[in-house]
Amino acid sequence: MRISTEQMFRQGANAITDQQANLSKTQLQLSTGQRMQSPADDPIGSAQALQLNQAVQMTQQYQTNADSAVNRLSIEDTTLDGVTNTLQRVRELAVQANSGALANSDRLAIAKEVQERLNELIGLANSKDGNGEYLFAGYQGQTQPFAQTATGTVTYNGDQGQRLLQISPGRQIAVGDSGQAVFMAVRDGNGTFATAATAGNKGTGTIDLGSVVDPTAYVADTYTISFVTNSSGQLAYNVTGATTGQVIPPPPADPVASAQNYASGSTITFNGIQLTITGQPVTGDSFTAKQSSDHDIFSTLLNLLNVLWKPIDSPASAAQSAQGIGSALANIDRALDNIDNTRAQVGARLNAIDSQKEVNDASSLHLQETLSQVQDLDYTEAISRLNQQLLGLQAAQQTFVKVQGLSLFNYLR
Amino acid sequence: MSGSADLLQIGVSGLLAYQRSLASVGHNVSNATTPGYSRQTVDLQAAPAQLLGGNYMGSGVQIEQVRRSYDSFLTAQVRTFTTTHSQYDVFHSLASQVDSLLGDSQAGLAPQLQSFFSAVQGVANDPSSTSARQVMLSEAGSLADRFHSLDSQLSGLRDDVNSRVQSTVGDINSLATSLAQLNQQIVSAQGTAGGQPPNDLLDQRDVLLAQLSEQVTVSSIPQPDGSVNVLVGNGQAIVLGSRSVSFGTAPSPDDSSRLEITYDTGASKVAVTSQLVGGTLGGVLDFRKQVLGPAQNALGRIAVGLADSFNAQHRAGMTLDGSLGGDFFSVPDPVVSANSNNTGSGSVSAKVSDPSALTTSDYNLAYDGNNYVLTRQSDGKTWTQPGSSYNNVDGLTLTLSSGAMSVGDSFAIRPTRGAATGLQVAVTTTNDIAAAAPIRTVAASVNQGNATISSGEVLDATKLPTDLSLLPTFHINFDTPSSYTVTDQSGNLLSNGSYQSGVDIDYFKTNLGLRVQISGTPQAGDTFTVEPNTLGVGDNRNALLLSGLQSQRILDGGSTTYQSAYGQLISSVGVSTHQADIAVTSYAASLEHAQSARDSAAGVNLDEEAANILKFQQSYQAAAQVISVANTLFDTLLHAVGR
Repeated sequence: MRISTEQMFRQGANAITDQQANLSKTQLQLSTGQRMQSPADDPIGSAQALQLNQAVQMTQQYQTNADSAVNRLSIEDTTLDGVTNTLQRVRELAVQANSGALANSDRLAIAKEVQERLNELIGLANSKDGNGEYLFAGYQGQTQPFAQTATGTVTYNGDQGQRLLQISPGRQIAVGDSGQAVFMAVRDGNGTFATAATAGNKGTGTIDLGSVVDPTAYVADTYTISFVTNSSGQLAYNVTGATTGQVIPPPPADPVASAQNYASGSTITFNGIQLTITGQPVTGDSFTAKQSSDHDIFSTLLNLLNVLWKPIDSPASAAQSAQGIGSALANIDRALDNIDNTRAQVGARLNAIDSQKEVNDASSLHLQETLSQVQDLDYTEAISRLNQQLLGLQAAQQTFVKVQGLSLFNYLR
Repeated sequence: MSGSADLLQIGVSGLLAYQRSLASVGHNVSNATTPGYSRQTVDLQAAPAQLLGGNYMGSGVQIEQVRRSYDSFLTAQVRTFTTTHSQYDVFHSLASQVDSLLGDSQAGLAPQLQSFFSAVQGVANDPSSTSARQVMLSEAGSLADRFHSLDSQLSGLRDDVNSRVQSTVGDINSLATSLAQLNQQIVSAQGTAGGQPPNDLLDQRDVLLAQLSEQVTVSSIPQPDGSVNVLVGNGQAIVLGSRSVSFGTAPSPDDSSRLEITYDTGASKVAVTSQLVGGTLGGVLDFRKQVLGPAQNALGRIAVGLADSFNAQHRAGMTLDGSLGGDFFSVPDPVVSANSNNTGSGSVSAKVSDPSALTTSDYNLAYDGNNYVLTRQSDGKTWTQPGSSYNNVDGLTLTLSSGAMSVGDSFAIRPTRGAATGLQVAVTTTNDIAAAAPIRTVAASVNQGNATISSGEVLDATKLPTDLSLLPTFHINFDTPSSYTVTDQSGNLLSNGSYQSGVDIDYFKTNLGLRVQISGTPQAGDTFTVEPNTLGVGDNRNALLLSGLQSQRILDGGSTTYQSAYGQLISSVGVSTHQADIAVTSYAASLEHAQSARDSAAGVNLDEEAANILKFQQSYQAAAQVISVANTLFDTLLHAVGR
């Protein structure tokens, strides 16, 4: 084929510029470490890289969220630990006060400390987190949740809201508990029903916490155990439910004449529950066992204070004091149980966050690996390609010079 | 005359012939690098013989013609590949600008979208923190800025396209004028030379045709008088003999930002844009239609979708001040422009009624006298109906807001074009970010049952008062374990119902657009409360829902997240650019082949010319020797006679 001189120049020059373009692309790849310089280099890969990048960053955000959740839950846990210590101290004080050998002045000293502990408890319940928000106020983070009224009772001004944080695409975790759940919603008595001596009882009878022995037979009601003198002239008792009516003696027996004989310490069993009254009540005394309801920790302490402030001046007042301290102890135990449960939940959440963080770390690593496969350069391949292209460019330049040096005109003299 | 005089004549004819041959070699050597030059050779032939003494005696050499080595097929092939190559070349260079603009790992939309949603998560983590809220506001501002900057760069490319169209049309016009002039010169030169071709003028015309073929598809039809008629694009005549026509540019009647190419027929200006394909012009027009428009619309659609869904969720939340959230972003309504040729008084307004159904296409609404025809520009799908209002077609609601359309009137509707530029952050103070839910629920502490109440969810925020303190407190009271009443704070009975665990309570759903559920076993006397979330500054429920929008499939009929819609945009621009890149490379090779084939026939080879110089020089010397011999013969004769 006939070749024109212009054509030879053009082909030589084109070969050099083509080689240079390839070389410059490889150079750019090597200097950035990226396989794709723009989406056009691999449209599908770059869309994939975009998704993967987003997933990596979202996972990082979930880790940040998880850290923030751990912070808040740790503060809550520490605070609840303080609450447990305080309550345990109060419990010790109550046990101490319950030993009959104390003088009234000692009881007042104990009352003083209980008062201090109550204030401490209110302080703990009003704790703030690292951002200055109240821990136990529900959604109302800027509203002080617990306040003492003029009469001494403590009211809850928060709500039952619980904040959740996103720690994985499909998982939200609670990072707090409302003051309602922690301090207010404590079932009194034994959790099913609460016993009490009626104020003004003249005898020395006290009632224990009681228990449910047959849950299927249990009927929720307010039961009154009244002491009467029965037809045989014995001190006896009958039991009446506010809605279920007469229970002991079983109807239609006369509640007074056929009332059950009383012996101190013997168990009283009805409708699936079992109670024990000890001591010596007198006719006209009564005791109640009513369905448990929420009783806040503060009023438990206030009730204890009221008992301690009252001087013991008679066997009856001693019995009332013992009864009051007994039910306070029961309620403190219930409160401790409640705090323990809450702490167990907090611990469970912390564990869950821990394992979720590990999962997030693993998936973040996996995502980054995939991302690297999609967008990163294979250096070995690129460097050998660079060498090949350098060689190619050199060859193109050398042949160009050599071929262009040949001309017949060189020999025309 | 005969004898030595004849020999002298023959020698002279040889001298002249080789002089011209050498001159043409010189011409070839001088033009070795002239673009479009075709190598010329002097064709020699023996001069007619003379009958002398019954024998035909040769009388020397004469020039038959000066021939240019030319192959019209090869030249036309070069033009064809030049057109295709320059079309993809310009398309590629424009598309790769969009490609690297959108795909930039720092300046693209993707990183800013991520930063914004991280800031929303920041508010969810600490809803009452002013600084977290401030970060969210600034990130939202940066997101809007990013939309603006991407869109303004795309708009810049649109201006670039317009100026390229203008300058290309100018080039085409001036080439057409030059071609017409050359046609005239060639016709007269050929006439003057008695039909001999004016080779250099013909080359020059081929060069102009090659230049024209860079701009647009060209076909040339040779005429018997030596001129050519030139058609561009799909057969638009531009040069007829010595006459040429010129094109103009004018803004499109339905989109003033788009330049159309017009042809002035004298009576009217006809748009011929769709006729002009191939070349730089075709590449620029293809880019505008296939890459720029869809890219700008797709970006706008993300802006509309983001603004609309974010706003809907934000309106269902409560601000720090305790009122219902407002719009977080503002985004302009679809752009409707009346065709400048409309004669009716009608004006059309358009609203986005369902962002998830929006496409990236533009639309056209036309009235044909009986029906209003809505056309989707991307695929030509039409809707035809006698009424002028279209409700929720591809997420759009169109109404003839005033006046009436005349027959032939039309409106261009661009639902998403202006959205990216018009996206603004509507919330200005940190307090107005609605991170909390507007209500909360409470289970009374005296409740004996184990039933729990859900925290409440907003289904339809429009049913709630803007000032949430006007919302009363509702009580749900269980009179029996299986039935409840709903009362307001003053005890007025609002509703009653029979209890089913885990089922929406009708009263709240119907009257307040709220989903409230109670599950478990309640006991008679149990009470639950639904109340406004007064002072609920630590509530992050709505912020969580807002941040969840990032991974929610909202666009494209609920199949695509914001981020993946952007990914689709990037990959579709990437595919176009990639294909153009491949086409550029392959057509460059084809063009190179065609040029080589043409040069092989028409190009100058200097070695060949050097050989010709030697050849003609020797022949010239030989002819001179003949003259010398003739002279010697004459001298000999004179010498013999003159003694």
